[in-house]
Amino acid sequence: MSEKPIEGEKRVFMTGNEVVAWAALAAEADIMYGYPITPQNEVMHYWTRLAPKYGRSFLQTEDEISAGFTTCGGVLSGKRAFTATAGPGNILMQESMTMAEMMRIPTVLVVQQRGGPSTATVIYSQQEVTMTCFGGNGEGLRIVYSTCSHQELYDYTIKAFNVAWKYRFPVFVLGDGYQAKMRESLKMYDPATKGIKMVETQPSLGLAGVPGVDREPSHLRNTYNTEEELCEVVTNLVEEYNKVVPEVVEYETFETEDAEIVLLGHGIVTRAAQAAVKTLREQGIKVGHFRPITIHPFAADELRAICKQAKKLIVIESAQGQFERIVKEAIYGESVPMESYFKPGQGITGEEIVEYVKKGL
Amino acid sequence: MSNTVKVALAGEGGQGVQSVAGILVEAANDEGREALYIPNFGVEQRGGVSVAFCQISDERIGSPKFKFADLVIALSDRAVRRTKQYVDENTVFIYDSSVEGVEDDMPQKVKKILAIPALDIAKKELHPRVFNVIVMGAAIAVTKIVDIKQAKSALEKKLGYKFKQDPKLRELNFKALEKGVELVEGKV
Repeated sequence: MSEKPIEGEKRVFMTGNEVVAWAALAAEADIMYGYPITPQNEVMHYWTRLAPKYGRSFLQTEDEISAGFTTCGGVLSGKRAFTATAGPGNILMQESMTMAEMMRIPTVLVVQQRGGPSTATVIYSQQEVTMTCFGGNGEGLRIVYSTCSHQELYDYTIKAFNVAWKYRFPVFVLGDGYQAKMRESLKMYDPATKGIKMVETQPSLGLAGVPGVDREPSHLRNTYNTEEELCEVVTNLVEEYNKVVPEVVEYETFETEDAEIVLLGHGIVTRAAQAAVKTLREQGIKVGHFRPITIHPFAADELRAICKQAKKLIVIESAQGQFERIVKEAIYGESVPMESYFKPGQGITGEEIVEYVKKGL
Repeated sequence: MSNTVKVALAGEGGQGVQSVAGILVEAANDEGREALYIPNFGVEQRGGVSVAFCQISDERIGSPKFKFADLVIALSDRAVRRTKQYVDENTVFIYDSSVEGVEDDMPQKVKKILAIPALDIAKKELHPRVFNVIVMGAAIAVTKIVDIKQAKSALEKKLGYKFKQDPKLRELNFKALEKGVELVEGKV
């Protein structure tokens, strides 16, 4: 029953949704709570097929509000629990994710972005950035990985569980409909073979012993009576979050050392940006690319350093400036000129970035 | 981006373009090459134009969709109209010769336009069900993304369980594949 889902390492060719299900299995996730929505459905479908073979569980809830809260509940009972959603489902999960922020519940949520606003398309977008990073009534005390490939979907789904349980903030893997539905190759592996040890889970409720006698009572709160008390609690939460930031923040740069033009893009758009850098460099144009992997928290200091020497930044995203707002906040006060290339809800190719950059020379 | 072969296959829902696209990239992956395939998908359950975007390369592939393809195959009038946007002077554009009323919809800037009687041959010489496999043969002959042997073993992998029940199906599919190659060989 409990043999390892993946022994050693193997090359596979599959959809991103299938990758997420395998990664959660490899990460020793105990249970998925979920409600179907395109383009995320197959995470659930594959999980429900695979989970029983490895002694794991699944609960389909009546909607995403419930899926989010049952995930919180599963975690409180000490289970490595996760859920996955997209678009309107992501909206409904925000309430439970803010509870996770307030009560330090290490949930994992995989988001496969679709077009918006409203029902829009089931295909693709990068329009769930603001919601995934800052959704809910709170301060955005969460960690969001923006992946660009099936390899990263695998790597960061595993990592999400460990970062969540280590730091006790909700962690999000921000994919998109392209990553969900496309097929490409990747290497799946048993985390142990890479020296990755899964962080041990613990229950927060139902502990042995008499509270106050044998152990400290577990006092989980998301309700406060006074302004002063809440302000103190949130200030402390923010402080603890800020302490975690330097340990979790991740980014990548491509030929930025001498770049005059720096392309900024995250998620799957980085692939187009990397291709554009390659083509433009071959033509002798000094272009580089900066890509946050944690889109929240954001590698602000590293981008600031790049701003000092660049002559122009171009923000590229499949949304109308949601990523750009994060960038602007991160580099507030820098004087480097900034342009934008926005295609809300539409994919971006390397060729069109090349064209755009050359037009502006 | 240079050595990546880009193919867009388009037809009516049910014509089987997604199935052959899946088999094609599977074959390339089995050869150890990099392959990326993404179906377009809308909210409809069935009907509508179905497009499969495939890329095959020796290195890691960039964005999943592309501006212009090396090969576009369109199998219905609506598919012709939908996919001509992916055609430029380096694109081979193939459509089925049974498609009518598209004379004014042909791409203007194009490397080569070719009409092939895949549907007709499938109906008269083989079986309507292997129409898409003829198309797959044509795609392989134009792009050389995989060799025929590899394509046959990918078909075997995908349909082997059906071939076991009825070995004639194997022969039929392989014939269809070869027919597709014949239809375009020497013409592009």
